[in-house]
Amino acid sequence: MLKVATTLRLVSKQGNLRLFATAAKQHEALVNVPPTKLTVLDNGIRVATEDSGSPTATVGLWIDAGSRYETSKNNGVAHFLEHMAFKGTSKRSQTDLELLVENMGAHLNAYTSREQTVFYAKCLANDVPTAIEILADIIQNSSLAEPEIERERGVILREMQDVESNLQEVVFDHLHATAFQGTPLGQTILGPTKNIKKISKADLQQYIKTHYQPARIVLSGAGGVEHNKLVDLANKHLGSLKNTALDVPQITPCRYTGSEIKVRDDSMPLAHIAIAVEGAGWTDADNIPLMVANTLIGAWDRSQGGGANNASFLARAASIENLCHSFQSFNTCYKDTGLWGIYFVSEPMQIDDMVFNIQREWMKLCTSVTEGEVERAKNLLKTNMLLQLDGTTPVCEDIGRQILCYNRRIPIHELDARIEAVSVQNVRDVCYKYLYDKCPAVAAVGPTEALPDYNRLRGGMYWLRV
Amino acid sequence: MSHLSDVKVLFSRLCSLKTSAPTLRYGVRKFSQGDKPLLKGSVTPLPPLSEPMPNLPPVVYTTTKSEDTVTEVTTLSNGLRVASEKKFGQFCTAGVVIDSGPRYEVAYPNGICHFLEKLSFGATHKFPTRDVMLRELERHGGICDCQGSRDTTVYATSADSRGLEAVTQVLAEVTLRPQLSAEEIEAARQAVAFELETLAMRPEQETILMDMIHSAAYKENTLGLPKICPKENVNIIDRGIILNFLKNHYTPERMVVAAVGVDHEPFVEYVQKYFVDMKPTWHSQDDDAFIPKTDKSIAQYTGGIEQEECEIPLYPGSDLPELAHVVIGIESCSHGDPDFVATCVLNMMMGGGGSFSAGGPGKGMYTRLYTNVLNRYHWMFNATAYNHAYGDTGLFCVHSASPPNRIYDTALVIARELANMAGKVGETELRRAKTQLQSMLLMNLEARPVVFEDVGRQVLATGKRKPPSYFISEIEKVTADDIVRVARRMLGKRAAVAARGKLSHLPAFDEIRSNMALGKSDTPQGRRLNLFRA
Repeated sequence: MLKVATTLRLVSKQGNLRLFATAAKQHEALVNVPPTKLTVLDNGIRVATEDSGSPTATVGLWIDAGSRYETSKNNGVAHFLEHMAFKGTSKRSQTDLELLVENMGAHLNAYTSREQTVFYAKCLANDVPTAIEILADIIQNSSLAEPEIERERGVILREMQDVESNLQEVVFDHLHATAFQGTPLGQTILGPTKNIKKISKADLQQYIKTHYQPARIVLSGAGGVEHNKLVDLANKHLGSLKNTALDVPQITPCRYTGSEIKVRDDSMPLAHIAIAVEGAGWTDADNIPLMVANTLIGAWDRSQGGGANNASFLARAASIENLCHSFQSFNTCYKDTGLWGIYFVSEPMQIDDMVFNIQREWMKLCTSVTEGEVERAKNLLKTNMLLQLDGTTPVCEDIGRQILCYNRRIPIHELDARIEAVSVQNVRDVCYKYLYDKCPAVAAVGPTEALPDYNRLRGGMYWLRV
Repeated sequence: MSHLSDVKVLFSRLCSLKTSAPTLRYGVRKFSQGDKPLLKGSVTPLPPLSEPMPNLPPVVYTTTKSEDTVTEVTTLSNGLRVASEKKFGQFCTAGVVIDSGPRYEVAYPNGICHFLEKLSFGATHKFPTRDVMLRELERHGGICDCQGSRDTTVYATSADSRGLEAVTQVLAEVTLRPQLSAEEIEAARQAVAFELETLAMRPEQETILMDMIHSAAYKENTLGLPKICPKENVNIIDRGIILNFLKNHYTPERMVVAAVGVDHEPFVEYVQKYFVDMKPTWHSQDDDAFIPKTDKSIAQYTGGIEQEECEIPLYPGSDLPELAHVVIGIESCSHGDPDFVATCVLNMMMGGGGSFSAGGPGKGMYTRLYTNVLNRYHWMFNATAYNHAYGDTGLFCVHSASPPNRIYDTALVIARELANMAGKVGETELRRAKTQLQSMLLMNLEARPVVFEDVGRQVLATGKRKPPSYFISEIEKVTADDIVRVARRMLGKRAAVAARGKLSHLPAFDEIRSNMALGKSDTPQGRRLNLFRA
């Protein structure tokens, strides 16, 4: 569970690209994918499927709960629960559960992000009923036995070390900690060591009671899943769940603070740095032009070699002038806010030049990005989103996430139309709105001496010329 | 002194300010938080993403239909085979699968195929630079990559189905008419050198170990030739050598052009136009008499040991100890062999993985390498079974890793577990392995690129593609007796061993061999090992 949970979280961090469905040309009325069907059960559970009739399927529960709903006292509970998921229920022991899944040739998995908790199963289409029964059992009857809790404490503390060895994770945790300081989004998903050491059975039960509310759960399915059958199964296994809490707890707006964290360690060979500004929330229409801008900056790493022909100016500069080992622009969304920026890994002496080039590209986006560049980025963005959705698991994830974020799945022709509608002026406007003369949040780990000080970075966020 | 007290006063003031005003914490705006919040209202007139966009044209979706798995194959006039299959979705994957790879490099300096991977999708006659070609692909939302195994090289692209002609042209250009300019070869040389450097620095050993176990199994012939370019060849390989290799190996009868998610007729037409009517770079007038020379020898399994005493890099920032790696292999069978499916089931039954590996239930927690090995010997960090199947042979192996002082026990535990394969096969474990193999097969085939590669490889090897349903029923037929027969057949062969790391505790080759001998399986696993030895 350790590594997959980690990588999935990572993906969901940069996961904005994965968010949208396949796109097609607007003038074409025929779309070569099945429709997404959505049904709301009496207790508020939303069931959404895309039935492709394939011999395999992915089904899963997407829950509107994550580390953002925690306080500094119980930070880490959501993730702890993810770990307890496969440790047995009142109906079946851990071994029974494992054997059942293994004997079906299925896979069970779970991950937690800042705003979502996910449990999903991948199986043969014929085994979907069993998979739903297992998932329903896990979220309703988890046994949370004390000895298992004690054992998982150790496992999670180990996982923390794993996360610490993944510098990208470390930098993103720091970035959240500084950009959203003093708010729940600044907390890590795993929680601090002292919380992990004392989280009790009662804490876990309380969290389930408060947050696993049917109105906040989406059952998503893709592959060989018939919508009506899935609705019946949901009624049978999840229909008895009651909304005990009145409503989704009002989330406190998470205040963004332009600020910086530097963890200088000269014994490391490379510096890992993220620079971001406050982005848009999930539903904001600004997201589409922001994603186009994101694609314009792009991603690159040294193993791709000749970035000289990359669509991104920054990639060209990076490869020709050897500015960094890799970089990746990101647009992370939350309910009411987001982070838009870039993560890069660079030799100590190249940091200054890299930052200069990044900020020059950013300012170009605000002022002088051209039509040709925007058209190319729009095309790339569509390709990236289309190619993500290959296989039942990516499609199922896309459905679950979208229903939670938008309460609908954006049809592919609409998404296509929205991307198509982005003009050069939109990109300049959106960058001017989010980027120009804004205070960046900066997180840096490693030999960071050469990273320009904050006021110089802030000074690079505007131009005294147009 | 006065200064000091001033400072103290100042500090206490600052501190009291800080502590006395916690309630204000959210209310006070600092300048870094901006003097005004982000403007309300989007830069576009469109509604938020949670609401549908107005004035969209009506849309017709595809309805559920059973996946069409008929593969059509056409052989063109020059012997080139074209295979295609229809599939759901807006995108298609098309590519070229070539019977070429390091196994054919015996008469050449090794490493050409490594260079070719780096040179793939470069400048061609039609596209003067890589940029022009990528832009052409980009117009159809396309991406491309090239990957090679020991006996096959695959060039693949995924793009919008409507761009099929352009994609076919790109594929023909990059496989038959690459420029291979001096600068490109220089860049590839650097990329290869950089990769060698990275491989040596990384804690992951799989790539190097797979080269080593193949070289132990097929000493100095065919599949035993290295896939990673040897250091001394990085500066030897040049344009002439590469072109000569291409001329002899990238020939029509050794190639299959395959696509998934397209209609067959137009595809054949495009292939004819770009692959047959237009000639390769290396084609010249007097070429009619040219007979390509390739290494046609059948892989000779030798067995033996290949070891390298070295430091294995640690995982940065992790508390994993330094590890030593050992791979033990034996010859299995080719993918055309009647025992092939049973070998795959046996591989699934052995299973294994890392002791801290990722994933919830479903990762093979009840396979033998978990239940008999990893769960019992906690010093072992990894034990995973692989089966590499080729056209004329196969290699079944188990990779394991443990701290260097435990490598003796590790090697013997794995050797005995391999010998144990000829012992009793439980009904439950067989049933589980069969179901897992079936579901793994179907799950892998969800992804279009996997289907493409399957079509290409099968057509290249046998001239047709057997549908997944064929393999599903073949797997169903495998019995416990089949497993034992396959295992006994394998265990009759001499072992191949590859080891890397600090190896002073590694048992001698003959000791490993004798622990794998048939009949050893009767002794219960592990009982005779002293677990408390330093």
